[in-house]
Amino acid sequence: MFSFFSASNIYYFLEKIIKFINSIFFIVLLISMTFALILSPPDYLQGEVVRIMYVHVPSAWIGLAVYSTITLLAVLNYIFKIKNFHLINKSLAPIGLLFTCLAVVTGSLWGQPTWGTWWAWDARLTSMIILIFFYIFYILCFKMIKKTEMAIKISSMGLILGAINLPIIKYSVDWWNTLHQPSSVNFDGSSTIHSSMLLPLMLMLLVLLLYCALIFLMKYKTEIIRIKRKNIKRL
Amino acid sequence: MITDLILMDGQGLFVWLAFGITLIACLIFYFKTRKTLKKYEKDFSAELERLSEDRKQSVLKKSKIASQVFASQNKTF
Repeated sequence: MFSFFSASNIYYFLEKIIKFINSIFFIVLLISMTFALILSPPDYLQGEVVRIMYVHVPSAWIGLAVYSTITLLAVLNYIFKIKNFHLINKSLAPIGLLFTCLAVVTGSLWGQPTWGTWWAWDARLTSMIILIFFYIFYILCFKMIKKTEMAIKISSMGLILGAINLPIIKYSVDWWNTLHQPSSVNFDGSSTIHSSMLLPLMLMLLVLLLYCALIFLMKYKTEIIRIKRKNIKRL
Repeated sequence: MITDLILMDGQGLFVWLAFGITLIACLIFYFKTRKTLKKYEKDFSAELERLSEDRKQSVLKKSKIASQVFASQNKTF
């Protein structure tokens, strides 16, 4: 049933997809940066500093989306025992960690001119820091535990436990009084962001997603080669 | 206009730092990932080279991945 997801089949397409992303990446990056830094208007309240949103928000979205994905795949791997899901998770986790860290750092840079502080222990910021720890725990499991099966089990438990943090991150701005503003982009149609800012935001999201895809494919390729190398005597 | 773009009403430092840190972090991560991939490809190919000719042919025939990595490495030699 899952033969389509075999390493050989997937590996065949990896090089082509990497080449395709490489060919369009810089054009999309250039267009997005032009919109984000030049063409989009300053905010009536925050002024020019609102442009930090174009890296901060997509980074946070990616950090959360990657964690949700690897948790889902860990559960599916536990049920269906599909080895590739564990490889996908191992390749995705460092990307999620990078973007969660970037969301925190760029958020801090946005906080100083708007809130007057680099950091506050409020619910949204603290829950993002906790997410970073769960990512680190997941990555360290594979570095510290020699037995792969054991590493998968313990890291998956950590992932599932960390998933409790996801709704806390999402709804922290509604449940508690926080310095962090409520979400401006909602998929239920109640977005409060103007289209002149939504377009650059979506373009920057596209660029960062392309970057994530590129890194993921390279990491996934590395993982496949590592396994093939380990099993070369059995081939 | 360029001065306006750099200064951004006195908030340029924060904006450019945010974009700069993101760009640099992404670049470092990209080159580190690429370097690791190239190393693994090279080591895998070298390991295949060390096998006897018969064994090597057998592995290349059985594994699509091995043959692709081997071909890509030999292209760059």
